[in-house]
Amino acid sequence: MEKYDVAIIGGGSAGLAALKQLSRLGKQAILFESGNKIGAKNISGGILYSKKPKKGKTYNVEDIYENFLQDAPFERKITKYILHATAKDKVFSIDLTAAHKYEANFGCSVLMNKLNQWFAQQAEEAAQKYGGGIVTGVHVRAIRWEDGHTIIQTDELEEVEVKAIIAADGVNSEIAYMTGARQKFSPSEIYQGVKVIVKLPDEIINQRFSIGPDEGSAHLFAGDVTLNHIGGGFLYTNRDTLSLGAVYHLDSLLETPNEPYELVNTLLKNPMISELVKDEVPVRCEIDRDAPKEEQMRIRFAVTKMIKTWAELRDSYYSKKEKERLVKEGKYGSPEEIGAQLSSLRDQMSTKYGIKFETDYVEVEYSAKTIPDGKRCRMEKPYFKNILFVGDAAGRGIFVGPRIEGINVGIDDAVRAANAVARALDKDNFTEKYLGEYYSRLIEDSPYTHDLKVIDKDYLEIFLGAVKEVPKEIISSKYGLVIKMMSSGTLRSFAVGVANILGYENLLPIIETVDTYVKIPTELAERLGKRMYASYAPTIPSIAQRIAKLKFNDDNISHIKVLTPTSEFMKKMITLCPTRCYFMEKEGVIIQHEGCIECGTCSEETDWKHPRGEKGINYQYG
Amino acid sequence: MTLKNQMDPINTAVIVKLEPDFSEGNVSYNPDGTLNRAETKNILGPHSAIAVSAAFYAKVKYGAKIAIGTMGPPMAESILQQAQLMSNADELYLYSDRIFAGADTLATAEVLKAGIQKMQKKIDIVFSGHRASDGETGQTGPQTAWKLGMTFLGHVIDYEINLESRTVRAKRLVRIQGVYDVVEEVESPLPVFIAIDPSYKPKFNTVSQRLDYEKYQKEAVKRAQDFKQYLKVFNAAQIEADPKFIGISGSPTIVYKVERIPKGKATRQAKVIDGSNKEQIREVVTRLLQALSTMAIK
Ligand SMILES: Cc1cc2nc3c(=O)[nH]c(=O)nc-3n(C[C@H](O)[C@H](O)[C@H](O)COP(=O)(O)OP(=O)(O)OC[C@H]3O[C@@H](n4cnc5c(N)ncnc54)[C@H](O)[C@@H]3O)c2cc1C
Ligand code: SF4
Repeated sequence: MEKYDVAIIGGGSAGLAALKQLSRLGKQAILFESGNKIGAKNISGGILYSKKPKKGKTYNVEDIYENFLQDAPFERKITKYILHATAKDKVFSIDLTAAHKYEANFGCSVLMNKLNQWFAQQAEEAAQKYGGGIVTGVHVRAIRWEDGHTIIQTDELEEVEVKAIIAADGVNSEIAYMTGARQKFSPSEIYQGVKVIVKLPDEIINQRFSIGPDEGSAHLFAGDVTLNHIGGGFLYTNRDTLSLGAVYHLDSLLETPNEPYELVNTLLKNPMISELVKDEVPVRCEIDRDAPKEEQMRIRFAVTKMIKTWAELRDSYYSKKEKERLVKEGKYGSPEEIGAQLSSLRDQMSTKYGIKFETDYVEVEYSAKTIPDGKRCRMEKPYFKNILFVGDAAGRGIFVGPRIEGINVGIDDAVRAANAVARALDKDNFTEKYLGEYYSRLIEDSPYTHDLKVIDKDYLEIFLGAVKEVPKEIISSKYGLVIKMMSSGTLRSFAVGVANILGYENLLPIIETVDTYVKIPTELAERLGKRMYASYAPTIPSIAQRIAKLKFNDDNISHIKVLTPTSEFMKKMITLCPTRCYFMEKEGVIIQHEGCIECGTCSEETDWKHPRGEKGINYQYG
Repeated sequence: MTLKNQMDPINTAVIVKLEPDFSEGNVSYNPDGTLNRAETKNILGPHSAIAVSAAFYAKVKYGAKIAIGTMGPPMAESILQQAQLMSNADELYLYSDRIFAGADTLATAEVLKAGIQKMQKKIDIVFSGHRASDGETGQTGPQTAWKLGMTFLGHVIDYEINLESRTVRAKRLVRIQGVYDVVEEVESPLPVFIAIDPSYKPKFNTVSQRLDYEKYQKEAVKRAQDFKQYLKVFNAAQIEADPKFIGISGSPTIVYKVERIPKGKATRQAKVIDGSNKEQIREVVTRLLQALSTMAIK
């Protein structure tokens, strides 16, 4: 049997950081990732933060990947952060840039597929020096302990023996379930996130969002766009795409189920968002069905090729970097020449093939995943025997205000876990006492754990301060206390004080309610909002079309098994599964696993595993 | 230390072919329905790519060396680069000469034979694709094997090498009496010529193989960036090909005209059945059973 020092299970941002840190410390580690390549299974919103906490130290992305700021393919540094309250076509906006900047060195928008691949490159190069590395397309099925040996079984490879394990296998951690290290998260402890990626050329984003080439903006949405659920919408600018999504409490969704894609569609239909995502889209004309088959095919192929060429050239034209590259490589004499070629192509498209150009938006990927709410579900004991749990697997997502932090927390956890494992390797001691408990202490010291336990007065003040100008008499008296808190200085500091005495457990049911997420924002927008107009109605793809765009590597056996087909929970999954994998038969709810995007929404009442290596969903953006 | 590091290395060669990219968005047709070669991108043919992956398997598992060769115009060097990217090939050979033009499969095989014999190392295994997608008949491989005097193994779906006895054990997908998917296992001493089946997929079963795989892939990216450093271009004289057997004069066949196969009248009698009707389903099963019983192998 082959032997390695450390195994890391899961190649998301947390697992990769563990590999990088272990290699920095000169230790041998192998990382197993079930996706066919790194990034294939990872999705996020997402804004990756680098933090500067008032107390203590976080291990930030640029501490682990020293060249992050120069070389990493992050999207844009977020410089504007705005909350929009919505009511039908009215929008009331509040600038929360101060909340975004709070305790942060920077926050940049990211796409996990690209970013994790870059992380993997850095980590793998380092790991290879010590005989380790990354193994993709391999799904860890079981771990056994035999006469002091720890043996990992996978679906694909021969068994291997290791000394310690870092479980970074995400929110639906099979490692946690099969070892019994923790229970599955319950719906009250997780959010369901749904997202679409919209394509929009680089420089059009700059103009549309009034940002510089190296700037980015984040928009958050609350009010009637939430369809009465606790949570909200987001829209982040990437380099040449937008991330638009909805994040809601799963128990709030279970109470009055809405199809996840309806929640995204509602955002898309909001006139303000429709205008933000719009673009110029070529529409093919019908091919003459009476023409000979070969001719029909020739035209179809020619049109496809032309649209592809046009779209690629257009992307380059609207990207400063690409324009410069094309001119430098001598493909074009000047940027104007590219522009001229683009319009001549466009003319040809319409004259030769009758292609029309319409205003619409271009959606390229639909995705979903559950997110753990660390305030409610972080593992108290993040270890089991010689396994340490990090990131989403340990339930450590942070939701404070509209900010979601999971990527950065996972990286910080991973460094601490790697440090603990390196220390254990030095002493050849992998007992819970020497390894697990030590890791637990390191995690307790993390400023993130502090954030998960204690409300930050200064941070809360920023929110209350941001709305202090709102005239309080305009909001119904039934929300009187909240409004008064918002507007009166004394009450504000009183509220913050009380908040900490009450603690999160008691305070959450008061803050996280339909009132704060839906009703107050809706009233604000109704009374104070600006009316918005959309110049077109977006053609929103059906869920079938969205699934058809995704890349799957279908497995013939289902990775999920329904346990109680007649339970209320399973019935609700018919609505809540983001890709409609469930439907009703005579005997109860059954699953058709082929379209599953492994979000984990249905995990509570199913036998839930990730698909075997390389199988299942294969995201292109993430 | 594993065996692969102690024994004499296995030297492999792969013969590949430049083909038009037939995927939608890349291919162009002329108004008369023929391929517009100038407008269509050229790629490493899909069958060639599978042959390259078979050689890569030998590299990962047995530490084999890989040389890749193709006959084609100067621009065919780009597919050698593609092949190197896939396999971390150690040497690349382009056989390019005006007088090769118009070669049929036999004349192509002559060039490939001469080319393989000119490779730096004595080759233990030659891999070729099953056939090309652009109008070739799957003869180049066997003909090259014959000219090289190598044992020919076609339709190979899996193979292992015994480094000590220097033999190959291969699984071949064969068709017996009209029934597909019969797997035949054969053993042969090196050298052999393997034409790889389209269904071939290399399997790497241990962590160390997978790590080697990744390591070579990474190295391949670097090598492919500087692929010219690994490339040798040879003309007819340099590979000492006999002018009698190459190019148009060495080709006993020429492609005179390619015609679409006229659509024949359908001879089957299709019947639409209603899937919810049990009677009809039963009838389908009965018919299937009848059909199967007449096909049984005796
Ligand atoms: C809609 C949405 C918005 C979000 N917004 C933000 C944001 O703005 N900022 C932020 O910081 N965070 C955000 N998050 C959270 C963030 O995305 C996650 O916290 C983070 O990606 C988790 O990383 P991870 O490495 O812990 O887990 P994952 O990225 O889930 O990685 C786990 C990996 O393990 C692999 N795996 C699982 N089981 C096995 C097995 N048995 N064998 C082998 N491999 C296995 C999986 O394939 C996967 O690649 C958001 C999340 C969502 C869904
Ligand atoms: S079946 Fe798949 S996609 Fe549907 S809820 Fe379950 S995990 Fe998510």
